[in-house]
Parts: sequence; structure tokens; C-alpha cells
Amino acid sequence: METFLLVARNLKARPVRSLLTLLGIVVATASMVLFLSFGEGLRKALSAEMTKFGPQIRVVAEGTGTFGVPNPELGPEVLRTLKAHADELGIARLFPAAVMMKGSGFDPATTFLFYGLPEGITPKDLAPAAKVVAGRLDPHPDGAVVGKQKAEQSRLTLGKTLRLSRKIALPIVGIVDAGSGFANSFIFVPMEVVQRALNTTNYSVVLIYVKEGYAADEVAEKIEALIPGVDAQSTTEAVKYAERAIRIGDVIRFGISLIALVVGGLLVANTVMMSVYERIREFGVMRAIGARRGFIFRLVLLEALLLALSGGALGVAAGIAGSQVVNVYTTHAVGLALSAVTPRLVLFSLLVAVSLGLVAGVIPARVASRISVIEALGRI
Amino acid sequence: MEASVLRAKNLTKRYRQGETWIEALKGFTYDFPPGVTAVVGPSGSGKTTLLNLLAGFDTPSEGEVHLAGHPLHALGEDERAGVRLAHAGFVFQSWNLLPTLTALENVAFPLLLKGVPRRERTERAQALLAEVGLERRAGHFPNQLSGGEQQRVAIARALALDPLVLFADEPTGNLDSAAGSRVLELLVRQAQGERRVVLVTHDPEVAARAERILRLKDGALVEIQERP
Ligand SMILES: Nc1ncnc2c1ncn2[C@@H]1O[C@H](COP(=O)(O)OP(=O)(O)O)[C@@H](O)[C@H]1O
Ligand SMILES: [Mg+2]
Repeated sequence: METFLLVARNLKARPVRSLLTLLGIVVATASMVLFLSFGEGLRKALSAEMTKFGPQIRVVAEGTGTFGVPNPELGPEVLRTLKAHADELGIARLFPAAVMMKGSGFDPATTFLFYGLPEGITPKDLAPAAKVVAGRLDPHPDGAVVGKQKAEQSRLTLGKTLRLSRKIALPIVGIVDAGSGFANSFIFVPMEVVQRALNTTNYSVVLIYVKEGYAADEVAEKIEALIPGVDAQSTTEAVKYAERAIRIGDVIRFGISLIALVVGGLLVANTVMMSVYERIREFGVMRAIGARRGFIFRLVLLEALLLALSGGALGVAAGIAGSQVVNVYTTHAVGLALSAVTPRLVLFSLLVAVSLGLVAGVIPARVASRISVIEALGRI
Repeated sequence: MEASVLRAKNLTKRYRQGETWIEALKGFTYDFPPGVTAVVGPSGSGKTTLLNLLAGFDTPSEGEVHLAGHPLHALGEDERAGVRLAHAGFVFQSWNLLPTLTALENVAFPLLLKGVPRRERTERAQALLAEVGLERRAGHFPNQLSGGEQQRVAIARALALDPLVLFADEPTGNLDSAAGSRVLELLVRQAQGERRVVLVTHDPEVAARAERILRLKDGALVEIQERP
């Protein structure tokens, strides 16, 4: 506590230098927090998404990516086999869907994902929390129900016409808030319309609700064993898959922010080293009076720690602010808050800042505590 | 015979100077009695070297120093620092005070090192500042004090832990004669009871205030002059 006061006095005695150093660490920490907040945001969005998506398994043709748009490659026999074995497999309910993507696929505003639902199935069967915003919920027999996000993004309103192919067009009969980022970017239409546009009788996907007491990934495995050529993707599996991808992203993002952190660390080391050289005589006086080497060591190390920790705390605050700005943008663009500063990210960042201070402070602290008393007293 | 507080035996310090060695102090042997002892001699005669060894700032090439019963020549850096804190006080020629601390905090600094609680520290530092006539300067920083005032704060700090030995190396060297004599007066007055004051100076007028004068020449103790 007493050493802390001495350190604070010293930092205050050189305000400009201390502030500039602080600023360097603030920027480094803030950029790290912001970078890593994307991974955390994705995790949060993902788990929220998974709870909002009703079916626990989607069956698609082999070769479809975990979050990819499936091609209409499932023949009617797949649906028949699944229905026949539903009870023994642990399937409570199932329905097929046909999916078609139009547009670039890169720019969300000009990409249209038509989700064809069979008769009797509404968006509520996909996203149980779905609520009508305008018009009606059911696209059948010959309308299109647009997800809220999609509607805002592409300026779609009731009554407008959507074209699936040269010959096929549907009026918008409803806007729905599916409560989920994915489903809110869909355009729900009757399945028969999508099949006609694609000129097929196949399905893209079979969606499955698992019976209570059954584990989705086990049911999925049994389905794959039963029907060759299909991929049964469970949400738990998808979460694991996504988690792996996010983690790789985390490592890359941390690697990038490490550059900023190293620069910040060098700033601290430089400031503290300079202040050590300026204060050699001061340390000599302390040692003459009777301060031990450890006292000087702690004094200098604490200076580095204090700089790093206060800079880290301010940096985290700046990172949180930055994350909110990012979210305003991503919410508008893709309907998801992609950046999240979670408690564990805050803790991690402060820990990184403290280690930075320790590493940057150890060498100057050692130098300061090793100077001999007469050498230190000799300098003015 | 009473136990000696500050005693040197055959104390020798050699410095390497290029190819050769120079003997800055040659076989200094002396048992400091209570009171003020001045160490005099021309520049380069080894006065500061002697003080560095007596205070345990440096280790001798040969010989022994005992301070308050501790064999400084045989102790490590931190152990010597501990002995200094407990038993010795220092006043240097200049640059004595810690610039980021007020006069009061400077005086309280040895008490802080000793682990004395804050309130007691402040009280004692205040009393010490009063003793050197600077109670009204307690909140001032060193750069707001005159040279003489700075030396008096240094004396107050040196006395904070009631040391057995008070070391001063040219304490009036940077002061005008009025301020210098006031500082000298204050130092001499501290030689009470068992306390030894070791006063290094090249100024004969300063030495004249001591009870005995040790004269160094080329690193050797050449004369011990007792004064009435
Ligand atoms: N660190 C050192 N390295 C080399 N020579 C030194 C060192 N310190 C002192 N000396 C030499 O030792 C002699 C005594 O110096 P010093 O004790 O400072 O004398 P004084 O204080 O009486 O002026 C001088 O010749 C000086 O040059
Ligand atoms: Mg000298």
C-alpha cells in the first residue's frame, strides 16, 4: 500500500510520459478485446440460435456443409424410410423442405433463400417462437412469408412480388419474426413451388424432432447407418463444429492482437527503464537509508504493473464501447450481435495486461535493484 | 570495557585503475568513542572511501568493520541495509531527499521501511521536523526548500529511528556560512549518550567543532587529535 503511493507519486511527477504510455496500453488492450469479442459474440449468437431452432436434426445429402445450403438431392424414398422407422429411431415428428438460393450469396441484401415448406407446416414448425409481424404466418397455398430481417434488409413489404424463376412468382403475404437470426433471413414459401422452380420432386432436407428421452446425436448416427448417402446433422454436432471453427478464429485474432500487445509491453518497459535511469540516485538514497533490494525491485515492478493494469482496465472499457458500435452495425447487416465482451473475456484481457506489466517490469526492476549503493550515490 | 558501537580493524580498500591497483584506504584501525569525530584530509585522501566502508555501502578489500555489534564486512547487501536502517543515519553533501516526497514524508521514510504504522509515523516525523525548526515546511517538496532547509530535513530523517551512529559527508559543503553553521550546530547537538557522530569534512572550521579529529593522508590515518 505504501509502495503503491510512492509509485503513484512517481508516475504523477512525469504526467505526459505516463499518460502516453497509458494510451499505448489502452489501444493495445482495446484492440485485443474487440478482436476477441467476435469469437465470444459468435458463441453467444450460436447458442441462442440453437435454442430457437426447433428441429434437433436435419437430414441432407452427403457432402453438404454443416451450415451450408443443401441441394435438392433427397429422393422420396428417404422420407419414406424415415417415416417407416420413425418409432424405433426415436423420431417424434418429421417433415421435408426444399431450399433454393438465388443471388450472389455474398451480399446479404441481394441474396434470397427460399425455404419451401410442405402443406400444413408453417415457419412456427421451424422456429417455435415465430410471431407474425404483418399479414399471415402460413405461406400456403400460394404466398411468400418473409423473415423480419430479410424484409428490412431488402425492403420487402406486403403485396410485393418475389420471383423464383422466370415463370414463377409469388406475392408477399406475411412478415414473420422467427426470433432467430437464421430463420429471419429466410423467405418461406410452399415446398411445391420451390420444387417446381428447381424442376425436381426431391427434397433438400428432412427436419426431425427427436422423441423425449432420446439424444439427438445418437439418433442422427442411427439414421446415417440406416440410409446410405445421407448426412444427419444434429444441432449439438453443429455447435461442436462451430465451436471448433470459432476457436481457430480466436487463435488467429489473438495472434494479430499480440502485435499490438507486444508494442504496448515495449512501451511500458521503455517508460519504466527510463524512469529507472533517471532515479538511480534516488534509489541510492533509499538503499543508504536501509531499503533492501527487494523494496526497490517491488517499487519498479509495481510501477510497470500499475501502468499495465490501469491501461488494461481502460482498454477493456474502450473495447466494450467499440464492441457496442460493432454490434449496431452487424445487427443491422446480418441480424446478429456478432461482438460480445463476456466476463471471461474481461478477465482474460486484464490477465494479459497484468502479465504484460510483469514481463515489461521485471528487467527494469532487476536493473534498479542490482545497482550498487556507492555507484547509485555517486550519480547526480 | 563497554561494547564498541563503531569499530574498524585494519580496514583496507583497493580500487583497480587500469593495470594497477590504488589503495584508497590503508589499514585503518580505530574504535569510535561517543561524541563527534571529524575525519579530515585533502581531497582524494580516502575520507569518502572510509565512510562508505563504515556505513556498509561497500565491502573492504581487507579488514573488519563492526557496527552495533554486526560484522559489516561479513554481511551481504541486504543484511547491511538492515543494520543501517536500525542503527545508522546519513546526511550527504547534497541530493539527500526523495524529490517526489514532501519533507514530512521524507522524514517518515525510514519509519515506513521499518514498518511503523502510518499515524505513528506522521506524528514522529512531525516532532522531528519541529526539532530541526521546520514544522511549518512539512508539506513542502524538496525543490521548494532552500539548501540549508533540505539538509535540516535530512538530519531529521537521519534521526528518525534514533540511530547509534550518525554519518555526515561534507554536510555543509554546498551551503553559505550562515546556513552551514546552523546545520553544523544541529549535527553536533545530536551527539548525546551513546550516539557517535562521524563528520567527514575538509573544512578546518567544521572540524573544529568535533571532539577529536582523525587526519587521513593518501589513505592512511596519520594523526588522531583529541580536543579539550
Ligand atoms: N570507485 C572508485 N574507483 C577507483 N578509484 C576510486 C574509486 N573511489 C575512490 N577512488 C580513489 O580513491 C582515492 C580516495 O578517494 P575518496 O575516498 O573519494 O577521497 P576523498 O573523499 O577524501 O576525497 C582517490 O584517489 C580516488 O580517486
Ligand atoms: Mg569525498
